Amino acid sequence: MNSIRKLSLIQQSSRLSSTITAEFVNRNPRNLERIRIARKPDGYHLDKPGRKYWHKLVLTPSNRTVTAQVVHFVNGPVIQAKTSEWALRKQLYSINDTSAYINLAKVFTQRCLESGITEMHCDIIPTKGGKVEKFLNELVDGGIKLTEPDVYKQPNPWDQHRPEKPWEVTEE
Amino acid sequence: MLNTFRRALVTNIQYQQIRLGHRIRGKAPIYCRTIKERLDELNYKDEIYTTRIDIGLPMVKSSSSEKRNGRLEHIKKIKSDRTLEKLAREHKLTVDLLDARKEWLNTLAPFHKKDIADHYGVFEHLYGEGYFLPSVNLDISYDMDNGSTLPVYTGNVIKPRESLQRPYVSFESDNDTLWTLVMTSLDGHLTESDKEYVHWFIANIPGNQVEKGDTLVEYLQPFPLKGTGFHRYVFVLYKQNAKMSYDLPKVTSASLENRTFVTRDWYKKNQDEITPGGLAFYQSDWDDTVRDFFHKTLNTKEPIYEYDFPAPYIRPQEWYPRRKPFNLYMDKYRDPKQINKEYFLRKLKNEDPFKKPPPPLKFPNAHAFPKGMPSWLKLHERKIRLGWGRVNDV
Repeated sequence: MNSIRKLSLIQQSSRLSSTITAEFVNRNPRNLERIRIARKPDGYHLDKPGRKYWHKLVLTPSNRTVTAQVVHFVNGPVIQAKTSEWALRKQLYSINDTSAYINLAKVFTQRCLESGITEMHCDIIPTKGGKVEKFLNELVDGGIKLTEPDVYKQPNPWDQHRPEKPWEVTEE
Repeated sequence: MLNTFRRALVTNIQYQQIRLGHRIRGKAPIYCRTIKERLDELNYKDEIYTTRIDIGLPMVKSSSSEKRNGRLEHIKKIKSDRTLEKLAREHKLTVDLLDARKEWLNTLAPFHKKDIADHYGVFEHLYGEGYFLPSVNLDISYDMDNGSTLPVYTGNVIKPRESLQRPYVSFESDNDTLWTLVMTSLDGHLTESDKEYVHWFIANIPGNQVEKGDTLVEYLQPFPLKGTGFHRYVFVLYKQNAKMSYDLPKVTSASLENRTFVTRDWYKKNQDEITPGGLAFYQSDWDDTVRDFFHKTLNTKEPIYEYDFPAPYIRPQEWYPRRKPFNLYMDKYRDPKQINKEYFLRKLKNEDPFKKPPPPLKFPNAHAFPKGMPSWLKLHERKIRLGWGRVNDV
């Protein structure tokens, strides 16, 4: 499963310049996930919840505190925020009421944006008008997408359509 | 014997995954190992390879009882605050994010930063088995044209256009301590993928006055190549025990000569004198300024790469293929370049440099084909009219 992280790129114009190698390896382990060509762990579609994600949002309320985490399918929790950590608790009246959830979302959003992880899978089904729904709304308002894009599949020459390559899209 | 031979051949090539129809192979599900057990076994690494060494500054421990008492006092005060309670009950309580971040930097930030840096493979590619807790907060920000600043945190995306000029760096320090700031690109090396380019190197920074340090390597803008995705650019701040004169060649121009760098080797040589303390990194992907950098600064052609997808699986050709459309079947075994050439020639045939191109058909399927045209050719023509399939490759 880890071999997919290896990125090798074939150069189109390799014969034009001799000083640069024809193959370039990007060692960044998050690169393929960002440009949508890494694989997602497939084959768990009979499990509930499935595991087809790179990053997933996990919200764990305990009796006293609430924890929000981003969990990677290999590396486990990579970003986290708790209402019981001093940075938040210092300013909160209660650490598991609705305002705690809303403020947790604000701090958590900030940490996700600082870490460059803005899209994550989310299988939380909130009750309407509840704390969790307010938490998720706050995340979305902060600029986090709660769905992950699909994996880009290279079309075969005989396929009908040529989907747009995600890494060639430039937003202006 | 044959099996081992085949495996040796196969390891380097990545084939497209195919699934052929099969009945259950191996043991029944209740007896066999789960996929998790099998993956854990496959990915198992011996302790020798996974042991890690903390090379950072020791964490300063403050008196915990004093801290705890202060915190308890504070919580008591909050709990008796009527206005705060009212705000919380009406969902109008908003924390001050700046203050929360400041508090976070003093408490949990080093651990969280280490987690995310591990996730991005930063320590692995900088020091191999070494890692450190970034206890010194590095504030790095690029100035933008419109007067705002773009800070470097831990993995946020900054475009090359936004990072053309050297960033503004600040950190907390007493006046006597000397520091070294190094900025390297972990993924950017053009020829050797396990090496780095040093983009910026300032040694002997007295206190937090970065301008007064000795700039050994001038700042170079990031240049993530087209088609290679996101590159990581890492700033590491080292604490020096004494004044250092690293025997590195001084680089003042923007060329890539002498910029090849391996942090691990360099650190190994100087590890008795320097200790890493601060960390910040960002990701960057291609934009037009990279092209300008290659054309104007390096005076070379810009390399463009494309991801090397595994070739599609095509089953071996048969003498007598049954129930296969002959044209589509044969096309699979022809040279794709030849096929594309045919489509291209056909496209050129209808083009006249002195005439306006005819407008695209409004209802492509409504135009009748000549009488007596075989059905396979009709389908072929229809596909071209609708822009389906191989026409798109031209």
